[in-house]
Amino acid sequence: MSTKVLIVDDHPTFRSTARLLLESEGFDVVGEAPDGVTAIAAAGELHPDLVLLDVNLPDLDGFDVAARITSVLGAPAVVLTSSRDSSDFGPLVHRSGARGFIPKGELSGAALADLIR
Amino acid sequence: MNSLRAALLALFAASVAMAAVMVALVVSSDHEDAKEVTAVLGPFIGLSFCGTGVFAWMRRPHNRFGALMTAVGFAWFLAGLTEANDPWVYTLGVYLGPLYIVLVGHMLLAFPTGRLETTQARTLIVIGYLDALFVQIPFFLLGGDISSPDDAPRNAWTITENYDGAQVFAAVSQLVAAGLIAWLAVQLLQKRRDASPPQRRAMAPVLWTGLVLSAALAVAVVSQLLGGADPIATSPSFVSLIAFAALPWAFVIGLLRSRYSRAGAVGDLVERLNAQGIEGESLRDALSDALGDRSLALAFWSRGSERYVDAGGQPVELPPATSRSRAVTEIEREAVPVAAIVHDAALLDEPGLVRAAGAAASLALENERLEAELKARVAELQVSRAKVIEVGMAERRALERNLHDGAQQRLVALSLQLGLAKTKLRSDPDVAERILDGARGELASALEELRELARGIHPAILTDRGLGAALDALAGRAPVPVEVETVPDGRMPMPVEAVAYFVVAESLTNVAKYADAEYATVRVLRENGFAVVEIEDNGIGGADPSAGSGLRGLADRLAALDGRLEVDSPLGVGTTVRARIPCA
Repeated sequence: MSTKVLIVDDHPTFRSTARLLLESEGFDVVGEAPDGVTAIAAAGELHPDLVLLDVNLPDLDGFDVAARITSVLGAPAVVLTSSRDSSDFGPLVHRSGARGFIPKGELSGAALADLIR
Repeated sequence: MNSLRAALLALFAASVAMAAVMVALVVSSDHEDAKEVTAVLGPFIGLSFCGTGVFAWMRRPHNRFGALMTAVGFAWFLAGLTEANDPWVYTLGVYLGPLYIVLVGHMLLAFPTGRLETTQARTLIVIGYLDALFVQIPFFLLGGDISSPDDAPRNAWTITENYDGAQVFAAVSQLVAAGLIAWLAVQLLQKRRDASPPQRRAMAPVLWTGLVLSAALAVAVVSQLLGGADPIATSPSFVSLIAFAALPWAFVIGLLRSRYSRAGAVGDLVERLNAQGIEGESLRDALSDALGDRSLALAFWSRGSERYVDAGGQPVELPPATSRSRAVTEIEREAVPVAAIVHDAALLDEPGLVRAAGAAASLALENERLEAELKARVAELQVSRAKVIEVGMAERRALERNLHDGAQQRLVALSLQLGLAKTKLRSDPDVAERILDGARGELASALEELRELARGIHPAILTDRGLGAALDALAGRAPVPVEVETVPDGRMPMPVEAVAYFVVAESLTNVAKYADAEYATVRVLRENGFAVVEIEDNGIGGADPSAGSGLRGLADRLAALDGRLEVDSPLGVGTTVRARIPCA
């Protein structure tokens, strides 16, 4: 069974390209969210296996959203992403409860699969 | 001679006539023992009140104090009817006798404005008039004994003989009078306490004489009450008579003293200013000493910011014209404002005094003003320097945001698209081609956004070709038709050209976003050492320069160059943005 993914990013161009990319690599993109509040709600309703979560959202901080999503039992895996480099964020990624970080430019199905394996 | 003056002179003539009547009554009196003294002192006291009263009335027609003082004089003459031998006139004199005492109380409480300012004062005086004019009536009708000394005429108003009943009314009347006199003394002391120092000095002679008078009257009334003979103080004691006679002269002395001392103080001020270079606090102190107003404050006119500042250059608000306690006298030199003296409103009683002191100190004030202006300028520069740094930081933040949201996102998408195309290249070449087309579009957009950003940081054409070419390029890119009407030929200093460019750029962005205009016009002129930049549109108007961060940022950038931004935007007529930048 293919991995169900929720994509969270405020840039529609990124969401659509990431959807195309992940679907072509066998993922099942079950939803998209443009901000943190919508993302938390969607994670509860859609029960994805994986949330691809942008760090810079218009409402909440991506790290806070990751912490909220991963705090419930049976929570999906969260992978943070950003057009910035992970070195810009220091230890914040691991503290947030996320599985890991992928720079946007290096996003691929293989890289995601590595992190959630 | 105006009609008021004529009427007042007639009034004084009437008082002279009454004085003559009084002399005649005293001389022919059967019951006056001290004829010589009374014939001189009686008219003298009455005429003193009427004379000074008429004088004060003439000098300040709108102040009721003069009228009150004149009324005291006439009431005094009416009390003189007790010298008459005719019983009816004698009784009338006894009845009206206390009236002048109530009028004196009224006058003292109303000093110096002529108005009873407090409810307490008004209540006291109303009770006083009721006591003097009504409570006594039953005493006379019940046959009260008014024959003192014994050879004086009898009570002519007796309807029925009830001596004990009459005494009750006399006692009530005297008790009330004693209470009122004590209350009056308290009120006078309170009046002194509430007054500002200059007011207190002007009031002193009248208030102290008034206090002595009320003390003497209190003693007289109490002793009469204990003796139980006369109705009310018809025959005042010697001390109260002296204090009473001194009152109008105390008024004149207070007037002269404040005038004389103030004129002298202005002279002293001139001397102090000439003797030493007075500055800062000491100039304020010198003026404060000269005018006798410790609360005096100075404000200096800053020509740069066109408002009043204190000696430290900080903006100050002057008290409003409606203020009853504080007044402002503005001092000018050669028709240009120099300073404002903020002082106690009581000083306005001496018209021209503050102005005279200010004129005497105007040179020192001008020096002081220059220093205050310098300090104001330094404070302004500190603010504008901080603002320039703030604007710089805000611009860097905006730049980071723009790079992140714009070009960076597009390059990320491009990277993903290239990766996707690579995976499809062999399996599905058609899809790969479509993805690559999308990627080219993304790249073109990224390039355009980077160009726009670079122009926003600093347009290369402005450095290379000057303001005219840069504005033409700006007009060419604007979504609304823009005509660049005139731009000076020669180059201006780079900071001026840059700020002028950004004023036009921001304004044209606003025209496109909000103005709903058909066209806009841009003019740059050089006028009297200024570069004037004007952007005019025919849109809906109603622009609020304080609302948008863009225009506020521009105003701060302009302030760094000592420039100013004006926005004229009447509803329905269009908007004109005008920047004036100093440019030698």
